[in-house]
Amino acid sequence: MNEFEHLRQMRALKQPVAPSRDLWADIDRRIEASERAASPGRARQPRRWLAVAAIAMLAVLSGGLGLRLAMQPAAVTPTVATAKAWKPDDPRLTGAAVELSSAHMELSQAMQQSPDSAALQRLLLRTERQQDRLRHLEQQAG
Amino acid sequence: MTALCLASETFMPPELVDEPTDTDVVRKAAAGDRRAFEMLYRRHSSRVYGAVLRLAGYDHARAEDLVQEAFVRAWQKLDSFRHESSFGTWIYRLAVNTALMSIRARNADPVSILDDEHMPDQGDTPFCPAERDELERAIGTLPPRARAVLVLHDVEGWKHEEIATELGMAVGTSKAQLHRARGLLKRVLGERP
Repeated sequence: MNEFEHLRQMRALKQPVAPSRDLWADIDRRIEASERAASPGRARQPRRWLAVAAIAMLAVLSGGLGLRLAMQPAAVTPTVATAKAWKPDDPRLTGAAVELSSAHMELSQAMQQSPDSAALQRLLLRTERQQDRLRHLEQQAG
Repeated sequence: MTALCLASETFMPPELVDEPTDTDVVRKAAAGDRRAFEMLYRRHSSRVYGAVLRLAGYDHARAEDLVQEAFVRAWQKLDSFRHESSFGTWIYRLAVNTALMSIRARNADPVSILDDEHMPDQGDTPFCPAERDELERAIGTLPPRARAVLVLHDVEGWKHEEIATELGMAVGTSKAQLHRARGLLKRVLGERP
């Protein structure tokens, strides 16, 4: 048999062959087992789950914060009361004002717990400067 | 209009039914859809199984195990599939690679498994091209590495450079293995080399 004939016969072997039984059930089982065994293999769904959990947690936190802001007695600290009272007319500044107000309130409460904390004092000062700047911006905007 | 006409108008041959393309199905599977991956298995298992079966020397149990392993690896690597080639080509290469890895892992010595002394004596039986089973059986008796080179080159149409890369050998070694495998095959089939 010459090489041409040999190759012709060999190439004729290149045909799809269906497995004698359905291998899918075993493949599915092996995938399941490998995903259970190795947590990195299960990365797809947990990542999605983690994202959902993070969003839910953020929503709860911001809801809680909003509730606390709404229920905060005006007499807790004068600064907080001032911060709460101030609502810029410019809608572009409203979001930032609310953020700064809540930050100021949190820091003030923390300061009540640790009045000597230099870090908290710095943060409170910085927040107040930012609030001043915001007020200044509002005045400029007219 | 007769019922036959109605039937012929409403009949839709299976090949004309809109089926999602491999690209769409791969995307679903990559997002974690196991049923989509099953669809890919159903579409490509025969081609993959055929190639692995030949490399496994027509050992069906071994081929089944290797194909399962290949599809599990494919599932794990779907995120890295970039659609630069078709999914069919990708899974075929992955499965062949899985089979070759198993040959390498076995560290099979091509000479020790079946050398000239242990060749079955076929006497002067003439080679019969029609006997496909005989040819497959003969390929199955070859040493794993020699068989891999023979199958990849002569059946699958790979180049020596590709074979050498996949099997971790020099191109010259691949050529030598092919020459030897052809000689052994002729001996098994009862021809003179």
